[in-house]
Amino acid sequence: MSRASETRLTRLSTTAAAGTLLWISRTSFGLLASYPLLLAIRASAMTAGPDGDTVLFQPGSLLLLELLRLGGAWLSSAAELSLLLLGGFAIFELIPLAIALDFLVAPERRWRERVARAMRYFPKFLGLGLIALLAQAALLLAASLLSAAAKPMFASSDERVRSLAPLALLGLGLVACGAFGGVLDIARATLIRRDVEAGGARAALAQAVDCFRQQPLRVLLGPYPSVAGSAFAVLGATWVLLRFAPSQSSNAALVLSFGAHQLAMLFAIAWRVRWLRGALELSAESD
Amino acid sequence: MRRVTQDLLIGAVFSALSGWLLNTLLLGAGTPKATYAQPKAPETAWPALSEGAPKVASYTIDAKLDSEQHKVTCRETIQFVNRSSAAVGELWFHLYLNAFKNDKTLFLRSPFGAGRSGDKAKAYGYVDVKRLSIRGGDGQDLWATRDRHSPDDPDDETDLRVPLPNPLEPGNELTLELEFEDQLPELVERTGFVGSYHFVGQWFPKLARLEPNGTFAHFSFHAQSEFYADFGDYDVTLDVPSAFRVGATGSRTREERDKGRTRLGYRAENVHDFAWTAWDQFETRNERIAGVDVRVLYPPHQEQNAEAELESVRFALPHFNARYGAYPYPTLTLVHPPESASNSGGMEYPTLITTGGPWYSTYGGGHFIDVVTTHELGHQWFYGLLASNEHTEPYLDEGFNSYAEAEALEARFGASSVFGGFGSSVSSTALNRLFSAARGEDEKVNQGAAEFATFRSLGALVYSRTATVLATLARVYGSERFNHALGVYARKFRFQHPTTSDFMSVMQSELDSRAVTALTLALSERATIDYLVREISNAPISAAAGVFDGPNGREQRKPEAPHEAAQYSSRVVVYRHGTLQLPVEIELGFEDGTKQRRHWDGSGFTFNADNLGPSRLVSVNVDPEQRILLDTDRSNNWLSIQGNSAPHVRERALYAAQLLLGAFGP
Repeated sequence: MSRASETRLTRLSTTAAAGTLLWISRTSFGLLASYPLLLAIRASAMTAGPDGDTVLFQPGSLLLLELLRLGGAWLSSAAELSLLLLGGFAIFELIPLAIALDFLVAPERRWRERVARAMRYFPKFLGLGLIALLAQAALLLAASLLSAAAKPMFASSDERVRSLAPLALLGLGLVACGAFGGVLDIARATLIRRDVEAGGARAALAQAVDCFRQQPLRVLLGPYPSVAGSAFAVLGATWVLLRFAPSQSSNAALVLSFGAHQLAMLFAIAWRVRWLRGALELSAESD
Repeated sequence: MRRVTQDLLIGAVFSALSGWLLNTLLLGAGTPKATYAQPKAPETAWPALSEGAPKVASYTIDAKLDSEQHKVTCRETIQFVNRSSAAVGELWFHLYLNAFKNDKTLFLRSPFGAGRSGDKAKAYGYVDVKRLSIRGGDGQDLWATRDRHSPDDPDDETDLRVPLPNPLEPGNELTLELEFEDQLPELVERTGFVGSYHFVGQWFPKLARLEPNGTFAHFSFHAQSEFYADFGDYDVTLDVPSAFRVGATGSRTREERDKGRTRLGYRAENVHDFAWTAWDQFETRNERIAGVDVRVLYPPHQEQNAEAELESVRFALPHFNARYGAYPYPTLTLVHPPESASNSGGMEYPTLITTGGPWYSTYGGGHFIDVVTTHELGHQWFYGLLASNEHTEPYLDEGFNSYAEAEALEARFGASSVFGGFGSSVSSTALNRLFSAARGEDEKVNQGAAEFATFRSLGALVYSRTATVLATLARVYGSERFNHALGVYARKFRFQHPTTSDFMSVMQSELDSRAVTALTLALSERATIDYLVREISNAPISAAAGVFDGPNGREQRKPEAPHEAAQYSSRVVVYRHGTLQLPVEIELGFEDGTKQRRHWDGSGFTFNADNLGPSRLVSVNVDPEQRILLDTDRSNNWLSIQGNSAPHVRERALYAAQLLLGAFGP
């Protein structure tokens, strides 16, 4: 086997390993977070009939609306709990993310060491995440304030401009948030790649910002395939299920639905891992 | 740079594919069929269609719009015929526009948080009658002799009595001449102006409906109420700035331009109201549909909404013609108000309806435009042709029309009649049932509009519960049979003012007395129904054990041990809560996969579904086809002893959680 093909194989296997790890963590956290909602729905008795929970997905949604009417209060409590759990798990997902990045940096490292490193970097990842979150919240707030301030400017315009202009400003805010997310990923990659310890988060963020200054287009467009690919995967899975799924009530429909949804998830994760590798490369180039 | 280009290209390809998929998923599901199946005419003959109403009050109005001051200066002539059985010594006028005169009127002092729009007046509006006289009389100004306010309400001037100098005997007629000026309010509810847009409804002094016994059905204008009037002919001339486009009740008969103004003549026969709109920014579409000249007036850049409205008419007009008798007028005008004037949307007038919705209404899987257009078009029958008293029996028009709307939309879109996209759908019937079940016992349906505690209550009961009651009957008696019965009612009482008893008499003759009882209980007495099951029991059959004294002396039989091959005696008890009685199907499921159906006519409070067979009863489903839409709680309609793992919910909940983690996680 040539050196080039060996490198390709290694890249492929590390990408697969990192992706699988992220999928496992997302699936585990997803199962746990959705459990309160599942319990609440099962407790409603709407799914206790001979057709089980398929009645909730009948055309017209008569019984789905009945579930919402009868169980609105406790369903919303369960949904709140599920969202709270999701928020918590989103924080804990930093650990598998650190492990995945470590995988891409040093495929040969032992698992125990990898996990220990991820745990060590957790507070720094958390700190970086909080900074990014604050910055993104500020960007969105600025965008919405700007759109509110600009509203009178469009008062005499036609209805389309009046309704689209604030959305466009908000969209710009979202693009800026995306760019900041890209910078954050480069900072995380720097942290893992350079194995920086004390004061590392600040240095990593500074290097990531520097990297953005040097190569703004690469940082801005780097996550674009990942974001657009995720949207494509989700919509594609829905399209496949609508076109090819047998009747909602069959076991085959359940299997096909699970398969299509998880394939979409794996596809999205694969593109995310591709971007994480790109972030590592960008970080290395800015040393 | 190569990497940047690569990322850009890949992202663009994914974005393009996502856009295509999004379009397919949202628009594909709700794309209407190119040709529509319309209801077939039933074998039985329909009642003959009346060609017009006996004219009681006919109006000739000459109106001039001042688009800057938002004033309309008018001369009005009313030709009034006393078609009652008693002499008439007074006239009652509705001056609906006075509802917006000040904050103390009955309309504006109503709790607006629960009103139709929730908005109060910003610029007030009123009608000033300058003079009222009888043509050929002594020239006396009768308006000076009017009562100064509505009965028992010194703050309201929407319902005024004018004594006649001499009683008008039955069969006699008189011609009244009026001069009046409208000051339009800034659009409050359906009438007024926003900028240069004017919608002019309930704008002229209008006689209250003369009932057959010689009394006038008059009432003050309440925020929750609509209208009631006699049929007649309307000849209206509208004088507007030439830059304005006008839509109005009836057919345009003439157009004259002079010095920057245009005089437009309109004539409408056999109608009971006249409304019009004028705006200098209207775009128009015209099309002949089912023999009717249909015109859409819409704001700039809303061609898609106009097309969606025309498409709704293309389906619903022939559909309603077949269901409720042919639309008798030569024209139909649809007005789509601009978003800033959305309060004038979603309203019906004879031969003119207003729709509504923002410019993006047709994007996505929602059928908002189709729902509102179909609903308002349906009012041409349930309000326009069957001119019931909307003040005292609002369910006869709004409720019946909500049923007609849902029936037509589901004939067109199937289960996704309200929304269809991403593989999910919401039907009109499901939505009506949701609102109906949520507030079904709050108040009775059959009561006056002003008697409802809030407009939300009125909305849920008059619109949704009535539609659900009718849809339940359609499912119990069969939709063709029920729709035929409703079609007979619509034809028999065309150009009349039917009441609840008229409707019940048709239901009695076309369905049966049980249907009339159910309708009466459900609409007038807050009656409910809830079928439920509590447990399933199975007992293995074995020979009877114990001590038996027979002809051969005493015998002692020991109990046999039950075994797998034994027969089972199974029972499930179905209960009926509430006072409504409706027949229901019960489906029993057995361990060996077989199913059995039992029929319960709904009488009594319990029904024992017993079975003796080789397999255990494992599930029961009461009303499996969901015919009893009035069932207050569907979650207690079934039982299964085979577990409740909800795998489809689990799978979707997991996927949703994964997506959220992907979107908002690290």
